[in-house]
Amino acid sequence: MDSQAPRVTVEGFDGPLDLLLELVEEKKLDILTVRLGDLADEYLTRVRAMAALPADEVSAFLALASRLVLLKARSLLPSLEPVTEEEGESEEELRARLLEYAVVRERASALGARLRAGERAFHREGGTIELPPRGGEVDALASAWSRVLALAARHAEREGDIVAPAERYSVEQRTAEIEALVGAQERVTFATLLAEAPNVEFAVVTFIALLDLYRRGVIDLSQDELFGDILITWRQRASAQS
Amino acid sequence: MEATGIRSELANAIEAVLFVAEKPVGRGELARIVGGTPRVIESALAELGASYEGTGLRLQRSGDEWQIVTATEHASQVAAYLGADRLRLSAASLETLSVVAYRQPVTRAEVEAIRGVNCDQTIYTLASRRLIEERGRKEAPGRPILYGTTWEFLECFGLQSLDDLPRALSPEGQLLESAEATQGERA
Repeated sequence: MDSQAPRVTVEGFDGPLDLLLELVEEKKLDILTVRLGDLADEYLTRVRAMAALPADEVSAFLALASRLVLLKARSLLPSLEPVTEEEGESEEELRARLLEYAVVRERASALGARLRAGERAFHREGGTIELPPRGGEVDALASAWSRVLALAARHAEREGDIVAPAERYSVEQRTAEIEALVGAQERVTFATLLAEAPNVEFAVVTFIALLDLYRRGVIDLSQDELFGDILITWRQRASAQS
Repeated sequence: MEATGIRSELANAIEAVLFVAEKPVGRGELARIVGGTPRVIESALAELGASYEGTGLRLQRSGDEWQIVTATEHASQVAAYLGADRLRLSAASLETLSVVAYRQPVTRAEVEAIRGVNCDQTIYTLASRRLIEERGRKEAPGRPILYGTTWEFLECFGLQSLDDLPRALSPEGQLLESAEATQGERA
């Protein structure tokens, strides 16, 4: 690393203690015994190279620089009065701080090494299992399924038949058909009506026709149980008689 | 625990609960659910943790809470499956994080006193990455916020608990650590 340009940028800003620690380490000095005042000149040289930094950040470096200069002055002139409280940090206090910071840096680099090694743990990512509601209509579901199977079986039987291209159903025509059928038989089930051509278009048209007949009061609709078959009964006769 | 591979019913029950848990489960809650005194639960947890040696799972502890995590040895495979990015932190963030990790709970001012620089930005970064979190307030003037590390911190650094934080190697580091330990005992 170029010693003329301390690695101090606003981005990777490491502070005055970091700079001091770096000087100690570069010179291979022992934190426990080095006379910190001896580092004052070198420290100031480094700080001068930082003119580009914001003032409040430089001030922290200057505060430590002045501390170092004071320590140096004391070591050159031992006759000076002992450190007073107003003067602030003594050499031993600054040394303790530097020592503590050295340990922080050591630990940070140990953590950084773990991070780079990528040896991390993962927990199972959320998503509580959604349990179905208790005591559902299992029997109703089973019988509905068996009807679907029966319908599918009939459908399969018809697959061999020659199917005319896309038959179009009209609601009017279907309404008339159902009206005639229910009029003749009085009671018909929905399943019977669908059995003629089990496909979606036919089912939709049949259903709309039933709703229309019901709206006009021609038929009655009833369903005994959930998913059960729908019973269609003739009502026209009673009203016609009256 | 002998290497018979047979675990106690209690350890199995705890494993089952921790397996479906979405977040760490406290020892007290485990005791309520599976039944048993906290001491019995503690030893069942130790048994469970020991039984994970040599498997792809580990038991992770933070304070009094527990969760099952993957073994660090398989981090790359799990990360590949999850599509997880590797965490990157600046040197400054790592320093702040190490002060919080070893000294928690600490205030921002305490971190700044140790590092000798303003730590607003690094604390914000670490909190937004959920590596540190608020741990209440210090009973001191201004009631400053206390910070501590999170579950994510343990996971990201592959630590099974805070006891696994790397110990200092340098002589001055060991000196300070023993001083910290005596301080901790007094506290």
